[in-house]
Amino acid sequence: MSNANALPSDPRALALTRRYFLNEFAGLSLGAIALRCLQSGAHASEPARTQDGGLPGLPHLPPKAKRVIFLTQSGGPSQIELFDEKPSLEKWAGTELPESVRQGQRLTTMTSGQKQLVMPARTKFLRHGQSGASLGEWLPHMASIVDDICLIKSMHTEQINHAPAMTFLLTGGQIPGRPSIGSWASYGLGSVNRNLPDYLVLISKMQRPSDQPLYDHYWGSGFLPSRFQGVKLRNSREPVLYLKDPAGLPRELRRSMLDGLRDLNTQHLAETGDPEISTRIRQYEMAYRMQTSIPELAEFNDEPESTFALYGAESRRPGSYAANCILARRLAERGVRFIQLFHPDWDHHSRLSSWCTARCRDTDQATAALIKDLKQRGMLEDTLVVWGGEFGRGVAGQGDWKSIEAGRDHHPRCFTMWMAGAGVQPGITHGSTDEFSYNVAENPVHVHDLQATILHQLGIDHERLTYRFQGRDFRLTDVHGRVVQEVLRT
Amino acid sequence: MYGRPLGFFTLRALLTACIASAAAARGDANGTNTVSFGRDVLPILSDHCFSCHGPDEKHRKADLRLDTREGATALHEGSAAIVPGNPTQSALLARLLSTDPDEVMPPPKSQKKPTPAQIETLRRWIAAGAQWGGHWSFEKLKRPPLPVPIGAAASNPIDAFVRARLEAEHLTPSPEAPRHTLFRRLALDLTGLPPSPETAAQFLGDSSPDAWANLTESLLSSPHHGERMAMWWLDAARYSDTDGYQSDATRDNWPWRDWVVDAFNRNMPFDQFTLEQCAGDLLPNPTPQQQLATCFHRNHMANGEGGRDPEESRIDYVIDRVNTVGTLWLGLTLGCTQCHNHKFDPVSQADYYGLSAFFNSIDEDGKAGGGAKPFLSFKSPLATPAIKEADALLSARKDAETAARTAANPAFQSWLDATLPSLRKGFTAWHPILGSLESVEGSLLTQDPDGTVTASGPNPRQDDYRLAGRSPLPLLTGLKLEVLPGDSGFCGRSDSGHFILTNVKVQVRKHGTAQVREIPVSSAIADFSADPKNHKGYGRVQDILDDDPRNGWSVHGSDPATPHTALLAFSEPLRLEPDEELLFEMRQRSTAGDANLARFRLSATDQPGTAVRQLGPTPLEELTAALPENSSSVDAKLREKLLAQFLTTHSPYLPAKEALDLAKRQADEIRKASDPLKVMVLGERKEPRETHVLLRGVWDKKGQPVQPGGLPSIAPWPENLEKNRLGLARWLVAPENPLTARVAANHLWQLLFGHGLVRTPEDFGLQGERPTHPELLDWLASELIHSGWDLRHLLRLITSSATYRQSSVVTEAALARDPENRLLARAPRHRLPSWMLRDCALAASGLLNARIGGPPVRPYQPDGVWEEIFMGRFHYEPSQGPAQYRRTLYAFWRRSAAPTFLFDSAQRRVCEVRTPRTNTPLQALTLLNDETQLEAARVLAQQTVAASASTTTRIRSLYKRVLLRDPSDAELQTAERLHTSAIAHYQQHPDHARQLLSRGQSPLPKSLPHHELAAQMLTASMILNLDETLTHE
Repeated sequence: MSNANALPSDPRALALTRRYFLNEFAGLSLGAIALRCLQSGAHASEPARTQDGGLPGLPHLPPKAKRVIFLTQSGGPSQIELFDEKPSLEKWAGTELPESVRQGQRLTTMTSGQKQLVMPARTKFLRHGQSGASLGEWLPHMASIVDDICLIKSMHTEQINHAPAMTFLLTGGQIPGRPSIGSWASYGLGSVNRNLPDYLVLISKMQRPSDQPLYDHYWGSGFLPSRFQGVKLRNSREPVLYLKDPAGLPRELRRSMLDGLRDLNTQHLAETGDPEISTRIRQYEMAYRMQTSIPELAEFNDEPESTFALYGAESRRPGSYAANCILARRLAERGVRFIQLFHPDWDHHSRLSSWCTARCRDTDQATAALIKDLKQRGMLEDTLVVWGGEFGRGVAGQGDWKSIEAGRDHHPRCFTMWMAGAGVQPGITHGSTDEFSYNVAENPVHVHDLQATILHQLGIDHERLTYRFQGRDFRLTDVHGRVVQEVLRT
Repeated sequence: MYGRPLGFFTLRALLTACIASAAAARGDANGTNTVSFGRDVLPILSDHCFSCHGPDEKHRKADLRLDTREGATALHEGSAAIVPGNPTQSALLARLLSTDPDEVMPPPKSQKKPTPAQIETLRRWIAAGAQWGGHWSFEKLKRPPLPVPIGAAASNPIDAFVRARLEAEHLTPSPEAPRHTLFRRLALDLTGLPPSPETAAQFLGDSSPDAWANLTESLLSSPHHGERMAMWWLDAARYSDTDGYQSDATRDNWPWRDWVVDAFNRNMPFDQFTLEQCAGDLLPNPTPQQQLATCFHRNHMANGEGGRDPEESRIDYVIDRVNTVGTLWLGLTLGCTQCHNHKFDPVSQADYYGLSAFFNSIDEDGKAGGGAKPFLSFKSPLATPAIKEADALLSARKDAETAARTAANPAFQSWLDATLPSLRKGFTAWHPILGSLESVEGSLLTQDPDGTVTASGPNPRQDDYRLAGRSPLPLLTGLKLEVLPGDSGFCGRSDSGHFILTNVKVQVRKHGTAQVREIPVSSAIADFSADPKNHKGYGRVQDILDDDPRNGWSVHGSDPATPHTALLAFSEPLRLEPDEELLFEMRQRSTAGDANLARFRLSATDQPGTAVRQLGPTPLEELTAALPENSSSVDAKLREKLLAQFLTTHSPYLPAKEALDLAKRQADEIRKASDPLKVMVLGERKEPRETHVLLRGVWDKKGQPVQPGGLPSIAPWPENLEKNRLGLARWLVAPENPLTARVAANHLWQLLFGHGLVRTPEDFGLQGERPTHPELLDWLASELIHSGWDLRHLLRLITSSATYRQSSVVTEAALARDPENRLLARAPRHRLPSWMLRDCALAASGLLNARIGGPPVRPYQPDGVWEEIFMGRFHYEPSQGPAQYRRTLYAFWRRSAAPTFLFDSAQRRVCEVRTPRTNTPLQALTLLNDETQLEAARVLAQQTVAASASTTTRIRSLYKRVLLRDPSDAELQTAERLHTSAIAHYQQHPDHARQLLSRGQSPLPKSLPHHELAAQMLTASMILNLDETLTHE
């Protein structure tokens, strides 16, 4: 439990006596009361909060990013096909990976029984933009934004299986139970929007049964109070569970019911004196407001045709990655602090040329469109966009490397991610790998470093945002992490 | 895994400054004059010093340790950190007070800074001689004498302790709560269910002195008591019906859950409860029940992810067991010692792996799902009642379906009579779709007037074809795709003449709107499909319905010059508005590529049923071909087909059919529960594994070998005790073990008061909170042992105390004085756990099915939640009939998608002994709109409307049923106001009333006026959402 909780309740709770509450109620409209719901502490013993619902003393530093859009590519996209050009692999094709390179690297049991034969990239690479960054040909649209992004080719992680690696990337620990990065941001900073949660999660709707379920602990709040957890917007009639009132209950009758509920609870508050009741009243009012604010958001009827032209035909299909990119921009416009997209099925153990291309087509145009869209709206200045998955893929072919059927196994020692906006240097590449894209050659960036950097751009010192649980002060980056200053504008 | 703890920011300083007065209420150093080592000093040292100068020698700095008196007073280069009696000579204070950044301790980088008050405490302690002591919870358990409170005679020992403390703080206890509140509180605490209005009336009218005791006994002897206790235990035991992780396979461990309920209902002593779950298999001649009990230590998650090394998983399970024992029995955060010596508590990494050795020789190999041996083959006697229940429902629904089918006959006959003449003009089931064409990669697509589309020009390696057009019919049930030979004479444009269709998408776009809607296709069939085994995954036509380009439809193996047909059936009939357009996309993205279609035609039909699920002529086409004189001369077989087709859209029949299908699937599933089940249990290998310290906790980095053993710093290992799991269990409950009884007594207190006496039930170590009432906790722990580990004895004792029976009403002054109610001058007031809220709604409405045990059930939850997480791999079908109304304890628990109607619940991934209690808008939405809550409101409305014609009486009756009390006049007025406006609305909008009343499966009585029912249902829903209803008062 946090030390905050070990100490007596916050002054707000103390102040919320009956008299205070009734005065407040008399002086404020219902809407104003509802407005305060998300910022008001939902827990009797949490510290006081700033006007935006953040912790006092935060941000620690002047923030560059007001918000983050994390484009999570779940499954481990292949850096070898997409980002990390290694022309010299051709001469090693089909030969066994030298032990001097492999250095005992663990494999999954899917390929630990086979020879590690080098398979060159299945794509051609082309140079783009003024920066001259090269990208695999399967990302034709992303080619148009290379001057806006910073490629980090020297990412590395410690986990080789999906769930532990994704948990590690998003929570700083491989075992479920720690708060996710978005929860930390919400816990530390709150958000300016009182009608929406601070942290929203959007998952691409796909027809293929996924091999890697997206567990809710990826956006969970761990030991932080649960109101900081990511709220998943679903691709259905009901974007948030239980949001829709039952058929036959019109809006005005719901309002009457909540008026009655508020009056009865207020009477009870007067009798029992428990300030938690006033919090409950606020939460019911907030729920009522969410019932309109969220559907408004998810319907794109106010978007011009040009939006769909920019994000591509798929963006018309609700729940597609492309539609979620538009939604992410809409959430960003409304001040949501942390927006996380998940696109599953990047786990290409076979048939890169059909499987990996399919996932590229799902995401390429819309990803580029999001950057362009944010830029033209002047929002890229203060929006940090992060693209990447939990690990990369190995240089050895899985299956017969010569066959078009071959794929690649998981690879934790190096992979590529990119960031854009909010003080990140555009058009640069940071870090590099050896000629096999197997080990980091220079400027390694550990996932804890990435986490530290994301928090840093939000104005958070990753060493100072902590929470006491089970007697220990936990933080996102465990006891590690270094802000990667080299990719930041000074 | 755990490293140096980092300073916690300004929060602490801020709060300390804000509310020093409240700290006094907790009896901190500020409140008393003498400094106690354990209470005042140790926490400061632990927080600020031990991470570098504590028990962990690997990370110890400057060879200085401050956790022992020897270490702290030893000379280092001529000076000692602590010189007893002499603060000015003590280097510790000098370093704490230094302003030199190189000198000051803790170092600025650590972000830790003790407050001046804390430094002062240390100074006074050193000045007073630096008396050393142990950490309170590691001290041997002694039974403290009862304090004699001044002024108030307390007959209950608990009150003696609590009141002595209150008097010391100059506080007075609260008066007893009203009887209806007390009764509800007690029933909820002991059974998790509210009392029925009848039982309530009985108690409320019983003025005898034994009334409370009698009530307590009747609640404790109710079988629901075991269920209530089991919910506590299941959360801690991380019980789940699935493995978790990627495959999240279902397991059949529910007989263990029933074992737990039964053990609590038999009031099994806690030491025996411990022995059987930890080592039932090692008891002499173990009964099947005792073997079953060991499933406790198999409730951990199991990882079946492809490519995972099973040995790594196995080590995870061993670790999980050690951590669970640490949290649940010892109240220790042993997880820290997986990677290094504990930073704060006297537990070394070698101790940790010594404990793990007890669990390291289970006859398991790290596999999940069906491979997760060892199993116990177990036949549950509780399966039979569940099967009977399911079969009875099935048989009732069969009868209803037969009746509905018979009732449909006249309508079918009239339809047939009306249809026959219209067929004489001819009949076509399929109508080609004409429209605009697009190729994503540049093929040229042209359409003939008969709908045939031909591809020519460039032939890209992969291509998507799109056809957008008006529907030829207002209603569509499916599509027909005909693949035709092109100009080359072959259906495909590849060299072989073959094609591969990897994916199709059906969408509808309304003119002028931004978004499209996706039309779900339920099945695809074709006249020919290749065997995917022979063609690199390509063949099966149903694979065009997923997003996987590695499979799809191919007709390899047949002549590529022959036309082929595929039928796509929509999940439900699609009605198109005149301004809506149908979009059909055909993706040809196979791995090798070069397999585009040469020519095709797309047609649509409005014929339901077999027309879109079977190739060949549709029933009406057959009828048109036969064209009999009149309907009586229709061939019997064809008549059956026509009837089947008719029924698929005959709305009076459909609900009965759907209800039957659901009941049938449920009965089929539940019948499997009567087979011998494979329950995961413990069992030792013949050859024990050697156990090693794992370096940095990494599964394959073996350090020094270790022998099994307990934690020597906590309790000695009795000499004659066997070094196996049974010995470990006996060590846990040995009288010398200072932790287990304290931890267990604290759990019971937490069940009744919402918080433990130690508010960190998972951490009794140095970094945990100290008990609010240390003597009371020790007294209870000692009483627990002396009573023979009788849990009910403790529950009885606590609930009979005046402390428990106080009112929870709080005054402004009391709130300011003790906001968290640590001193217990009032009863706690907190929201009930979400599982209890569901059970309460079921009980209050009378819907509750009180059957005990058996296979898990599936309460209502919104559609598509499992499907979303697993992209369709698992489907959630809510239970049918009485099974729907079982207690939440029996709800199927899928680890990766816990029941949606629960909030603030344990995650059931690892052991959790304290669940958070938050208050969020999402919870409000759940309680407003969850189907169970809505159905309970409806049934409450039915009962109260049927019982009286007066609105006032109906509302009074709602209050009685839900809150066991009458409403005040003001409350009545408020409720009546809602009721009045609702009745006006539903009188005007009978359709709204009908819709609102359709929630849930239970029957709706026809005799009661719908507008009154709907208004009362809304009122009932409001009462179910009252803060008072949701709260333990």
